Amino acid sequence: MQPSRRMRLTDQIAKVIFFLCALLLVGVIVSVIYFIASKAFLIFGSGVNPLTFLFGTTWDPTGIGHMDADGNPVPYFGAGGLILGSVVTTLLSVLLVIPFAVGTAIFFTELAPKWVITLLQPLLEIFTGIPSVVIGFLGLIVLVPWLQQLSSPLTGGLATGGYGWGAAILVLFVMVLPTVISVSIDALRAVPQSVREASLALGSTRWQMIFKAVVPAASTGIATAVVLGLARAIGETLAVAMVLQGHRLPENLFSLKIFFQPNVNITAFIAQDFGETAGTAQNAYWTLAFILLFISFLFICISRYLASRSVYK
Amino acid sequence: MSVSREAQPIVAQPERRHITDLQRVARRLHRNDRVATVLLWGIGGFVALLFIGIIIKLLVDGMPALVKPSFFLGTDDADIAKQIFNTFYLLILTEAFLFPIALAAAIYLVEYAPQGKLVATIHFAAETLAGVPSLVLGMFGFLVFGIYMQLGISRLSGALTLLCLNFPLALRLFEEALSSVPRELREAGLAMGASKWYVIRTVVLPSAVSGIITGLILTAGKIIGESAALLFTMGTFSPANVFTLNPLIGSDTLTTRLYYVKGPGAGQTGLEPMQETALAAGIAAVLIVVLFVINIGARALGRALQKKWTAA
Repeated sequence: MQPSRRMRLTDQIAKVIFFLCALLLVGVIVSVIYFIASKAFLIFGSGVNPLTFLFGTTWDPTGIGHMDADGNPVPYFGAGGLILGSVVTTLLSVLLVIPFAVGTAIFFTELAPKWVITLLQPLLEIFTGIPSVVIGFLGLIVLVPWLQQLSSPLTGGLATGGYGWGAAILVLFVMVLPTVISVSIDALRAVPQSVREASLALGSTRWQMIFKAVVPAASTGIATAVVLGLARAIGETLAVAMVLQGHRLPENLFSLKIFFQPNVNITAFIAQDFGETAGTAQNAYWTLAFILLFISFLFICISRYLASRSVYK
Repeated sequence: MSVSREAQPIVAQPERRHITDLQRVARRLHRNDRVATVLLWGIGGFVALLFIGIIIKLLVDGMPALVKPSFFLGTDDADIAKQIFNTFYLLILTEAFLFPIALAAAIYLVEYAPQGKLVATIHFAAETLAGVPSLVLGMFGFLVFGIYMQLGISRLSGALTLLCLNFPLALRLFEEALSSVPRELREAGLAMGASKWYVIRTVVLPSAVSGIITGLILTAGKIIGESAALLFTMGTFSPANVFTLNPLIGSDTLTTRLYYVKGPGAGQTGLEPMQETALAAGIAAVLIVVLFVINIGARALGRALQKKWTAA
C-alpha cells in the first residue's frame, strides 16, 4: 500500500501547485486593475477637477512649461487633447483597416488559390507579432518624409510637417491590419461549407454567395475582429510615439492641416514623460493609464459579448 | 426600348421581354461577380505587396549592418553585442518563469479543473489580461515589481512584467497543445491503475510536446519583440559591465535600443545621425530575421520533436 499512498500524495500536491499557477493569472489581472485604480484617482484628491482633466487641452503636469511671475511652475492637467488624439487615430485607422481586412479575409478564404495561401499565411503570422518599434522606425524613415512632401502645400512647407495623426493612422493601419485579418479569417472559416453550397445551389453567383450568405453568417465574428483591432490600436505605443513627436494639441483643430503636424495621444505621452515624473505629476499619468485600461477592458467585454452571440464558432 | 423590338409581333412580346429581362439580370450579376473578383484580388494583392514590401525595405536598409560581423560582436555604441546579450538573457529569464507557470496552469485547466464557473473565470481573466495595453502593464510592473517589491529598474522587473504580459498567450497555446491529445490515451493510462499526475507526466506531456514547443517558441518571439512594457521596468540604458548574469541591473534590449536611438535619445547617443539611422535599420533587420526564423522554425521543430518523442 505504501507506494500507492505516496503516489496519491504527489498527485494531490501536483494538483494544488497547478491550481495555484492557474489562480496566479486571476491574481495578476486583479492586481493590475487594483494597483492602477488605486493610483488613478489620487490626482482628483489634490484639487484637480475631473471635468478639466477630461476636457482641458493644456497638459503640463510638471508645470515646467508654464512658470508664474515668481518663476514657480504652474501645472496644468488637461488631458482632453491626448484623449482626442487617441480616439481620432484609433477610430480612423480601424475604419481604414475594415475594408482591407475584410476584403483580404474574404479573398483568403473564398478566392485565393493554394499557393497564394501558403505565401500569405506565414507573412500574416509574422506581421501579427511584428515589434511595434520596427513599424515605428519604418514610419519615421519612409512615411514621415513622404507625408511631409505630400502635405507641404497644406502646411506651407512646415519642417516638422509629416509627423502627427496622419502618420500615426497609417502606422496603426499596418499594426492592426494583421490582427483583424486573421480573426476575420477564423470567422469566415467557421461558416460551414453547406451555407455556401446552399447559396450556390439557389443560383447565386459567387459574389452573391459571399455577400448574401457567408459574410452575414460571419458578421459577429468579423465585428469581434474589428473590436479586437480597436483594442490593439488604442494601446499601441512606441510605433505611434515615434511618428507623433508632439508636445501639445495644435490650435487649428478643424482644418486638414491637423493630420500633418506634430501631435499628441495618450500612449505617446506616457512613454515620453512618465519615467521622468514623480509625485502629483506622476499621478496624472496613472489616471491616463487607468483610462487606457478601462477602454481596453470595455473593448474586451464587447468582443466577448459579440463572440458569444455568433452562430458559428 | 429599341425600335426593332417594338416592331416584333405583339404575341411574342411579353415572353421575349421576360427573357431579355432575365438575361439582363444575369448579365448584371455576372458583371458584379467579375467586378467583385477583381476587387478582392486587388485588395488581397495590395495587402500581400504591402507586407512583402515592408520586409524587403527593412532587409535592404539593414543589409550593410547585417553583413558586417563587427555589428553583432562589437561593444561600441554603434554595435549591438550588448543588446543581443541582454535580449537573450531576458528571454531565458522570462521563459524560466513563464514556461513552468503557464504550463502548470494549462495542465490544471485541461486535466483537472471541472468545467464550469472556475474555468470560465480564469479564461475571462486571461482574455482581459491579454487586452491590457503593454504600456499599462509596464507601468504596473514599474509600480509593483520596481517599487513595492524593491527590485528597481532591473532585468528581473522586466522579466516579471513580461511574465504577466505573455501569460495569457502561453496559457492558450499550451491549452491547445494539451487538448489535442486524444482522450483515449489518458483513459488507457488511468485504466492501467496509474495516478493522474503519472499519466500526465508519461503520456500526455510527451504526446503534446510538439504543441508545447511551438507555444514556447511563439512566446519567445513576443518576448524578443516587446518594448513598451520594458521602458519603465528595464530602462533604456546598459551599464558598463553589461555581460553579467546579475538580474538586478537595468539594461536595454534590441527593441528598446531601437526606440531610444530614433526616439527620445536621437542626437544624444554620441553617434552621427547617419550612424543612428544605420544602427536602427540594422536592429530592425535583425529583429525581422529572428522573427522569420522563429515563425518558420517553431512549426518545423515541433513536428520533428513530435515524431521523435512519440516514436520512442
